[in-house]
Amino acid sequence: MILVNDIQNVVDKWGNDSENLMLIMRELETKSGKNQVDKDTLQTLAAVMNIPESTVSGFVDFYTMFKKHPRAKFLIRVSKSGPDHIMGARDVFDFIEEYLGIKPGETTADGVFHLEACECLGVSSVAPAMMINYDIHGNLNRESLKKIFDAYRKKEPSFKSDCGPETYADACIIDNGKQTKRLLAAIGTVKAESIDSYVQNGGYAGLKKTLKECKPEDVITVVKDSGLRGRGGAGFPAGMKWSFVTKGDMQKYVICNADEGEPGTFKDRILMEGNPHAVIEGMAICGYAIDASIGYIYVRGEFRKSIELLQNAIDQARAKGMLGRNILGSGFDFDLFIKEGGGAYVCGEETSLINSMEGERGYPRFKPPFPGGAGFKNLPSNVNNVETFASVPMIMERGADWYKEIGPTNCSGTKLYCLSGKMKNTGLIEMPMGTTLREIINDFGGGMKGGKKFKFAHVGGSAGGILGEDLMDLPLDIDQTTKAGVTLGSGVVLVADEDTCAVDYLLQIMSFFEHESCGQCVPCRVGTSQLHHILKKFANRTAKKEDLDVLIKKATLMQKASLCALGQSPILPIRTMLKYFKDEFIRHCDPGYSCPECDRSLKRYYSGAGH
Amino acid sequence: MGNGNITLTINGEEVTAQKGQTILEAARGNGIFIPTLCYHQKISKTGACRICVVKINDRMIKTSCTEPVTEGMKVETEDEEIVEIRKGILELLLAEGDHNCLYCDANGDCELQSLCYRYGIEPSGSDFPKNTREIDYDSSYGLKRNENRCILCGRCVKACAEIQVKNVWSFAGRGSHAHLTSDISEKIGDSSCVACGTCVQMCPTGALSFQQVLGKGQAWELTKSSSICIYCGVGCKIDFYTNREGQLVKALGCDDGPNNGHLCVKGRFGFDFVQSDKRLKKPLIRKNGNLEEASWDEALDLVVSKFSGYKEKNGPDSIMSFSSAKCTNEENYLLQKFMRAVIGTNNVDHCARL
Repeated sequence: MILVNDIQNVVDKWGNDSENLMLIMRELETKSGKNQVDKDTLQTLAAVMNIPESTVSGFVDFYTMFKKHPRAKFLIRVSKSGPDHIMGARDVFDFIEEYLGIKPGETTADGVFHLEACECLGVSSVAPAMMINYDIHGNLNRESLKKIFDAYRKKEPSFKSDCGPETYADACIIDNGKQTKRLLAAIGTVKAESIDSYVQNGGYAGLKKTLKECKPEDVITVVKDSGLRGRGGAGFPAGMKWSFVTKGDMQKYVICNADEGEPGTFKDRILMEGNPHAVIEGMAICGYAIDASIGYIYVRGEFRKSIELLQNAIDQARAKGMLGRNILGSGFDFDLFIKEGGGAYVCGEETSLINSMEGERGYPRFKPPFPGGAGFKNLPSNVNNVETFASVPMIMERGADWYKEIGPTNCSGTKLYCLSGKMKNTGLIEMPMGTTLREIINDFGGGMKGGKKFKFAHVGGSAGGILGEDLMDLPLDIDQTTKAGVTLGSGVVLVADEDTCAVDYLLQIMSFFEHESCGQCVPCRVGTSQLHHILKKFANRTAKKEDLDVLIKKATLMQKASLCALGQSPILPIRTMLKYFKDEFIRHCDPGYSCPECDRSLKRYYSGAGH
Repeated sequence: MGNGNITLTINGEEVTAQKGQTILEAARGNGIFIPTLCYHQKISKTGACRICVVKINDRMIKTSCTEPVTEGMKVETEDEEIVEIRKGILELLLAEGDHNCLYCDANGDCELQSLCYRYGIEPSGSDFPKNTREIDYDSSYGLKRNENRCILCGRCVKACAEIQVKNVWSFAGRGSHAHLTSDISEKIGDSSCVACGTCVQMCPTGALSFQQVLGKGQAWELTKSSSICIYCGVGCKIDFYTNREGQLVKALGCDDGPNNGHLCVKGRFGFDFVQSDKRLKKPLIRKNGNLEEASWDEALDLVVSKFSGYKEKNGPDSIMSFSSAKCTNEENYLLQKFMRAVIGTNNVDHCARL
């Protein structure tokens, strides 16, 4: 239990407003030494902040990074999402059980380690991955795991991240000279810790030019003309979105969505950790365009390192006069603050993100009203993805025509593609929008790993579609993918080989959706649970052929009736997976059919208490 | 548009609505039915149950409770696809919870039951697993909760936050494991709930119900009679419900009164005295240390002789009256008149608070 005075001090540090609940909760959890925010602490916190106990309780229960029960000095969270699953997450759990003697939900006898399964940690190019407190480690195997655990036994918990070098920004880029580098050009060249390094490499030129030469409406025109479309997944034209922000004297906000949770995505993390000032500069330009003097970057809580580097960059930008009052003598005021996530995929949905920023449970809001009219604190807010904001400075500096030189007419520019799975090389690449799967796998992935046969690619994240051989030459841009009945999403390209079982893989995807559903609307809350259940039946060979129709029927209902994109999405992986592998599902209806992959998952994730 | 009116078409008929209204409000204003579960006119919009979806301009499917009307909009409230969606949602709800009307207080006054009946949904007998949720029948003297009948519409949460401003309820957990929590406690009785019962009155199913009703009558068996609360001066209007045996079992706030359907804990639960066997029905006179039944004449004669005796011996100011807010205004008036005109004193007092 944490003393009242300590709680009061933490609240004083962050501020008494419930919008600071996430940061307060994070610090209290760390203070506990057991990765816990217990009931007494929560009750005291509610009293100290003068907010209802139910608010605090509902909040802490929503975000999976927090728990009311004690965990341990070191909390191990192993990702079981798609990329990690394919790359051996189950081996990691097996080894931990063997070496530390714990299963998910258990603590070692000496109280040092507690194990949990979690969803994607945003380092999929080095999957399988895990996080110990705030340190992310990838490329896990028996030897590396042993080394890591032995090292932690000698360590003391720290609030500062100490991630494995394999997760560093420059280490996660596939560098073979074939890329079209715009966003990634600075990574490895510019020192993320130094604003001087950024400025020496031409940084803040876009902001300078904007403030000197453009009226706010001109900025919106340039961004519209550039054809820049949102890089978070929906692909909405950025300039248009900016123009929808309500005008008037009220406070307005620029919000950067850095809740990168789509399994397989890690591009935003690389940008934040490799070139944080580009994000800051892009947000400042947006602030100028929409007359917003305050910006927030909502970073998922797992990205401690991104948070540290961004905070450092913000502090430097303030000191240099790139943030704050009267920037560069233009009379434009803009300041930037970081908000943190707590482990909720749904908070990548912009209205959930705003609710989470306000210290609420991350429930999506119904639209209209859209954030441009009523967003953060019900005031006009513009939300864009990290990659989108990072693209803005170069557009302002070099012009819309320059930006449009690359990429198809309606989807201009480059795209960051996140490569993971069974290719020889995995990592981030930047290519013109519309690069094909064949180019990606052959030119950058270096072909299939171990000479195995390609089975499918899951493009766009868990909410994306499955692409088979027939779509190898489909240009992966926003419109062409939609036309082909799939989606580009956030740019995930996860490749599975012949060893992957379609049923077993889809089971993990459906487990993900059930786990990440917020539970607010009926179709998604009950629907994700039922989809997951049907997949379990296929995995344990108790399903009937007709269950495939039920699967489609339920997912279609969810698509039509769910409140937000999370519930509307599962139909896509289901429909596209069945397009290619219906036979495999039907084979799983035979109780005598042998499937070691499914058996392994069932044993690992679905046996024992709670299943 | 200038006068704030909007014309739209609902189910092929042109109707008029106010600018700023939702499709649901416009439809209800024009006598067109659209089913709802999470919507309640007394609280802010939720848009979560999705049962009120309608089709707009032949393509978009939107929740009518959140979608504002626009000029020239074409709305279909119940085409084949919409009915299919509603049936699908009801099936999901039935599969999620343990909805057995056989032993539910709300039988006959349940919005889920009524919609399942309307759309012909029967429990499917599906093998989908149910998450067993909290049953808390004992911890609170006023409220009973069976979350297996909860559809997580959030009306109770908003009723407590927006009407009572007590913020006892919140959602806890997430996704298929979402459930209600009162404060940080699991039991209502351990929380700061003051048992005003507003949440129960707003609950569309039998998930929240009143203690007194348990086993005494299902909603459809009860008879309603409206009355005014006997406690304080607000004069809340209450609908009292009696069961087949004539027992008073439940009080609901009536929307017509100054209370707008709201009640406090006394108005809501303080009616047990009506049928208490300790209630005085005949005069009692203490004889040899014991209270014994007497006739009205005998009792009144005794009171007259005692009062007269005190007045003669010590003067009228040795007597005072103290009357009750539970009496009517007329009764209170009569008492002070009696004290002044008959006894001859101004020693009149009244509890004036309860």
